[in-house]
Order: sequence, then structure tokens, then C-alpha cells
Amino acid sequence: MTSAARSGSGPVVWAAIIAVTCLLLLVFHKILWLVVPCMLALIIYYALYPATQYLVYHGMSRDAAAAANIVVFLLIVAVAAAIAVPQIASHIVDIQASVEPYIAGGLRLTQHSLQALERSWSVLANAHLAEAARQRFDASGGSAAEHVETIVTGVAAWTPSLLLAPFLAFYFLKDGQRFTRFLARAVPNAFFERTLYLMHEVDRTLRAYFIGLMKLTVLDTFTLAFGLWLLGLPNPFALGLICAVLAWIPYVGSILGGAIVVLVAATDFPDQPSVAYLSVALFIVARLLDDFLYMPLTIGKSLHMHPLVTVLMIFAGGAVAGIPGLMLVLPVLGVVAVCGETIGKVVTDPRLTARHRHARLLRQRQASADLAS
Amino acid sequence: MELNPFRRRNSTPRMERLRALSLFAALSSGELAIVDGLLHEREFLKDEVIFDEGEDGQAIYIVLDGSVLICRQGESDAVLATVAAGGFFGDLALLENLPRAAQARAAENARLAVFFRDDFLGLMETHGIIASKISLQLARNMGRRLRDATLGDAAARRHL
Repeated sequence: MTSAARSGSGPVVWAAIIAVTCLLLLVFHKILWLVVPCMLALIIYYALYPATQYLVYHGMSRDAAAAANIVVFLLIVAVAAAIAVPQIASHIVDIQASVEPYIAGGLRLTQHSLQALERSWSVLANAHLAEAARQRFDASGGSAAEHVETIVTGVAAWTPSLLLAPFLAFYFLKDGQRFTRFLARAVPNAFFERTLYLMHEVDRTLRAYFIGLMKLTVLDTFTLAFGLWLLGLPNPFALGLICAVLAWIPYVGSILGGAIVVLVAATDFPDQPSVAYLSVALFIVARLLDDFLYMPLTIGKSLHMHPLVTVLMIFAGGAVAGIPGLMLVLPVLGVVAVCGETIGKVVTDPRLTARHRHARLLRQRQASADLAS
Repeated sequence: MELNPFRRRNSTPRMERLRALSLFAALSSGELAIVDGLLHEREFLKDEVIFDEGEDGQAIYIVLDGSVLICRQGESDAVLATVAAGGFFGDLALLENLPRAAQARAAENARLAVFFRDDFLGLMETHGIIASKISLQLARNMGRRLRDATLGDAAARRHL
């Protein structure tokens, strides 16, 4: 079944696909504690699958190969944590001192920009926009320590759930093929080839999406890091990485990443607002590169989806399930679309249904062959 | 007690059975283990249709037990070929994404191993040696069929 054949699904199938996607997002939103580790486990699974196959090929049992890979992965994570945690802890101590100047710098830049706009536009001046924004910021502000406390509490609450990820990934690696065959055994012979195709497409879509996401993150990190380095901002690689990871959340993540970089630029170069404006320009260029070059080369290939449907579904995902909905909508839509289109074709194929009826008749006859008097 | 995780595999009856199939005859134990993970087993009753002529071809079928008739659609008496245990059919689907050229129907109760086309294409990416060994067996089978078709059975037997 080619992708050209897939495009033949009718409006009823697509309405069902969109409805099921929204319903799943609603359900996933309620069980995020399970969905997030499952997503991370899938990423780990797709990253470690080639290494597992390599070990099996060289004579290791699948169980041992899966265990060895997960142990090596956990060791790498443990070493990375051992290096990073003391550094983060030492920064947390003076986070009040280090974060507040950036927030103040951002507010200063916003104030200056709004005052410049008020000077140019009398309507804005009459509305006292700059003063209103200052009062709003003052009202919503709190100490950085309060925000850190919220973040630390959140991390502590999520840790047990996140520890599920390597555990799940181990079983995906160890029993993934067995599970696929177990599912396939439940399918009648008449629908078997189509179902194999469906399972393969679901696997291909998820694999392409998650691997595409990783590639996109690397490309975004290096593009932004290079641009920020040219602008002379401190820690360009770390800033680029943070922004690339935030970009996993469509639209909102990119804006948040851009805001962080503009805050840093406004604070470290208070007398040079051009650096902040150039940072905004850099983000617009990165966004264009993302939309027209990187996305089509990485994630775009995986979904075979019309751009209008993708954009509308991102908004629908956000409306139904908030930030998690924005993050989950594309992979969920990709998988539901593959399932919906294939199931739609299978159940409406009269020949396959007739073959299934014939096979059932043969089985009934065989089962009752010695019962006829 | 031997602790080497990369130990020589103990050959299981299933592995021996797979090795006895002409398609996998050239594979080592490690290679068979990879292929084994990709195979699905299906059971068909006598007269049950396995695939129809003109259907999208997604997999190759290997006969483990029983036998299968290859015939024109709707002409089950006009048999084009009979595939016995150890043989395979539907291999054109593995090489070309074309519709099935004929109908396959179980001549008697049969147990088949199914090798999905995209799994084979995946092997080409990840395990080129395994894929090339299987491709060689497929090419040999095609050559044999071509020789039989052009020279006839008797001439083929004389290796003319």
C-alpha cells in the first residue's frame, strides 16, 4: 500500500481520525504520569534498537542484549548526572542573584520598547501601555527562590514516574518483537497482510517521528548556538540546546526559547539594544529554517500529512489538552491516521470480508467433521 | 560455568527447521536468530485463500508444513504450480511492489512462515549480509524457474 493509496481515504475516515485523536489527547492528558515515561521509553527504545540488534547478531540472546544496552544507557545517564548535579546545585545557591538580573533586563527592554512605541503612536501613548505593563509585571513578580521551589517540587514529583522510562524501554527491547507477533496472531488470515502493513506503518511513523525529533533538536541546537556565538552571547551552546528542547512544544516552545535569549541579550548588553533585536531576528531565521528546511527533512517526512491539517490539529491539541496536547498531537495524529486509513480500507474491502467468511466456514466444517450422523 | 555472553548458540529444533529451508540455507546461527525474530507463523485450512491475484503484495510465504497451489484467479483447477514444504512463494512481492500475479490457495492444511516485505527491506539497511544471502537464494530460485519455463523440465534436468 503506497502513500498515494493512503491519500484516498474519505471524509468520514478523516473525521473519525480527528475525533479519535482529540479523544486520545483528552485521555492522555489525564494519565500524563504514564504517557510521558512511555514517550521517553519509545525514544530510548528507538535509540538503542540498532545496538541491541548488533549484539543479537553477534551471538547474544535478545534478553541479554536488551539488558546490556539498558545498563550502559543508565551508566551514561548516571555519569552525566554525577557531573551535572553538583554544578546545578552550586548555581541554585545563587540563583536569586543570577536569574533576577535577567528578568529585570527583560522588563527594562520591554519598557524601553513600549515607550518607543508610545512616542511613535499617540493611541498607545493615550492608553499608557508602558505604565500598564510595568504595573502588571510588578503585580505578578515574586522572588526567584519561590519559582525554584516550585520547579524542585515538580521534579521530585515526576522522578518516580520518569524512572519508569528505562524500565519500559528494557521490555520494549526485550519483548517488542514477541508482542508484535502476539498481536498479529489475533488477526484472521484474510486481514493478516494488511494488518502487518498497519503495524509496520505505526512503527515506522513513531520511529521516524522520534528520530526526526532528535535530529531536529541537534540541527536547531547547532544553528542557534552558531548564531548566538556570532552575536557574542554567553554560553551559546547551552542556550541553543535549551531553546531546541523547548521547541518540542510547537509554537509556544519557540516563543519561550526566543524570550529567554532576548532576556539574556538585554541583560548582558544593556547599552546595546541592537543585540536583543538581532537575537529576535536570529530566532525568526531559525524558525524559517525549521519550517522550510529542517522540518521537511526530519519530522515532516514521517507524517505524510497536509500542512493545513497539521497546523489545525496543533491548535486543536492545545485547546483539548494544553501544553501536553501541543507536544503529543503530532505523533498521536500520525499513528491514528495510519490506523484509521488502513482499518477503513480493510473493513470496506468486500473481497477480504468474503475470504474471512469462507475461512470461518472451513473452520466450522473442520470442527464439526466427525459430528455429522 | 561459562560466562561468555557471546557464546555459540545451542541449535534449537526451530532453528534447525529454519536452516533446512532453501531460502535461509546460507545463514549462520546469529543471522537465523535475526531472521527468526521477523517471521510470523500462520495456519491455513485446505482450500483457504492465502492471497488473491491483483492484491497488493506485502510478504513472501514459506511453506513449513502442507502444500500450496498457485493458480489463476477463479480457475483453481488450472494449477500453475504446487509449492511443497520447504518451498516458498510470493517472492516477486519481496523484490517489486507489484500486485500478486496469481492466487495462492492451501492444497491441504498448511503451516506457513510469513516474511514481511518491509522487514526484508529493513534488513538491507541494518544487516546487508543477511539480506544479500537471502537475495542470492531468491535469484537462484528465479533462475531455476526461468530455466524451467524456457527450456522445459526435461532440458533443465539435463542442465542444457
